[in-house]
Amino acid sequence: MAIDPASLDAPFAALAAFDWGGDANALAPLDAAVVAAHGDASLTADLEKRLASVLGSPAPRAAKHYACRKLSLIGTAASVPALAALLADKDLSHMARFALERYAAPEATAVLRTALGSVEGDLTIGMLSSLAAKRDAASVPAIAALVKGDSAVAAAAAEALGLIAGPEAAAALAAAQTSGAAAESVVDARLACAEAFVKAGRKADARGVYEALSRAVGDAPTTHRGRAVRMACQRGLFATIDG
Amino acid sequence: MVVPCPAPVRSLLLTLVCLVAVAQPAAAEPASREAFAFAVELVKGSDPDMRAVALERLRDGLAGEAYSVELAEKVLPAVPPEVQVRLISALAGRRDAAALPGLVSMAASADESVAAAALRAIATLGAGAQVPLLVARLEGQGPVHDAARAGLVAIQAADVSPRLVAAAADATMPAASRAAIFEILAERRDRAALSLLVSAAKADDPELRAAAMRGLARLGGPAEVPGMVAGFLAAQPGKERDDAERAILAVCGAGPELKPAAAEIVTAYRAAAPATQQTLLPLVARIGGPDALAIVEALVADPDAARRSLGLTALSRWPDAAVKDRLLGLLATTSDDGERRLLVGTLIRIAPIPNNGLSDAQRLALLADTMKLCSTDDDRRRILERAGAIRTVETLRFIVPSLDTPPLAESAAKGVVELAHQQKLRDANKPEFTAALDRVLAVAKDPITRERAERYLQGKTWERR
Repeated sequence: MAIDPASLDAPFAALAAFDWGGDANALAPLDAAVVAAHGDASLTADLEKRLASVLGSPAPRAAKHYACRKLSLIGTAASVPALAALLADKDLSHMARFALERYAAPEATAVLRTALGSVEGDLTIGMLSSLAAKRDAASVPAIAALVKGDSAVAAAAAEALGLIAGPEAAAALAAAQTSGAAAESVVDARLACAEAFVKAGRKADARGVYEALSRAVGDAPTTHRGRAVRMACQRGLFATIDG
Repeated sequence: MVVPCPAPVRSLLLTLVCLVAVAQPAAAEPASREAFAFAVELVKGSDPDMRAVALERLRDGLAGEAYSVELAEKVLPAVPPEVQVRLISALAGRRDAAALPGLVSMAASADESVAAAALRAIATLGAGAQVPLLVARLEGQGPVHDAARAGLVAIQAADVSPRLVAAAADATMPAASRAAIFEILAERRDRAALSLLVSAAKADDPELRAAAMRGLARLGGPAEVPGMVAGFLAAQPGKERDDAERAILAVCGAGPELKPAAAEIVTAYRAAAPATQQTLLPLVARIGGPDALAIVEALVADPDAARRSLGLTALSRWPDAAVKDRLLGLLATTSDDGERRLLVGTLIRIAPIPNNGLSDAQRLALLADTMKLCSTDDDRRRILERAGAIRTVETLRFIVPSLDTPPLAESAAKGVVELAHQQKLRDANKPEFTAALDRVLAVAKDPITRERAERYLQGKTWERR
């Protein structure tokens, strides 16, 4: 059923003032409109524009969360700038990423990549998580630069490289200078890279990772973790030679 | 071809790396030959972590009949028992019947854990041909017997059932093994065993009879009732006959299913000689129904005191409240104390039975009428304690006055807390229950009754123990 955009004026007005605990029923027409917009480019564009404008308005946080959730379903490159503006906001960054992770537009990945270099602390970990979710190989150099020392960011960066995988990520992990929990994350990420190599049929690359990790952990590891890594390597090596 | 690595290699891992690096798979061998060889080496080795990884690989990968045979016939005999158990499990996981000959050899191991593991694996991989081996290991007790039994329950193939039935019919086998097979057949829900079980229900050996009746209880239907009646008659009085009666009741079911089964029992009763009829009478009464009632009524009306006593005893076993008016009528006319006790006891038993054909109000009214006919406080106490099975506030009102009668107070208190256990009922009638539970605390001495009353007053539940 076609929806007249003018009929959404009142629901959008309600959204502009919506806060947690408010009447969510007032937003039901917007939920229905997002569903109805499937296959309707005109309605989609109108909804996207109006939802994006909520993000830049003084609307309450709940309203902006709602707009992010709806944009995650219908958003295009057109609304990327509005979401990008939220990436440095500690209260809204995660919802902006929630939407951008689901965008097919390459602009969405680009703004996440850019934000990685401009935010700090937990927000950096968020960007790493989103770039890993998007399996963005182009961000490997920037992520690799963060895999150093022993910090939560270093661990998150290692995990992101493990998810992105590929020769560049594997090489960056192999060269990483880390310690403590971050070093353990690097080992986990290298194993993840090796498994991805096996799945991709790159058995020689996988074998290289497993051999290197095996040498590092030694023949008789004394810790539970060391034994687990050794066994994981052995399993992986079998996978590389068992046709 | 495989070029040997320099020996000794520093680690098994490096061995593998060398093998992989230089090996050129021979045309006649699968590409995973090297991996298989290395897995075997790890299985034979002393590192439990690497062995676990290798066994996982052998279980889930490295497929091939030749590998299964080699593992079962060459590797398995060459490793220690604790490794044998794990390798046998991996072989079962490969789901390759080619391993069966090797596993059959291991089933004869003197190590019970190895033999048991082999039997479990044989059941996983095998078919009817493996049934005799598993049956042969049913003798005795312990892990081997348990594994054989579990294996015979689990083994799946079209030719298993006939072989199991044949084994169960083999009179040269020990009775204990045959009895075990009866139970296995029942657990397999194998209705092909029904005629054998019916015939074994009247065997000379009590162990066989009992196992056959247990099997029939799980598998049988009305068609097996005549055979089970023969089993009931063959059973020794006491536990065996009681169990046989329960088996028949289990087959008879309830509701519409009961009718054909009950008819079979009544038919058997009518066709039996008088002495046999006497044995069957408790069963006839326990099943109930109009035809059975006619038989019992005829006995109750018999001028012969012994036959009347048989009839009344049968009536006391009735499964539902259909005979309540008859019981009340008899109670009103009898002057015999023994008969009165029997009849009152029967009314107390049947009145609160759920699904006895009466509404809650009718069940409570029957209990109240019975209370009036009681001549002893023992009977009154039984009524008060059983009343809790009728879960209405009217039952509470029936019980509460007895809290003030000292000889009945403790039983009335039990009846009250039993009702109060029903939270919905308690919450819907909170003032009445609060007053009743307060009164319980004032009169009851039994610690459990008091604890329950206190908990219910606090809105808490109570866990039966």
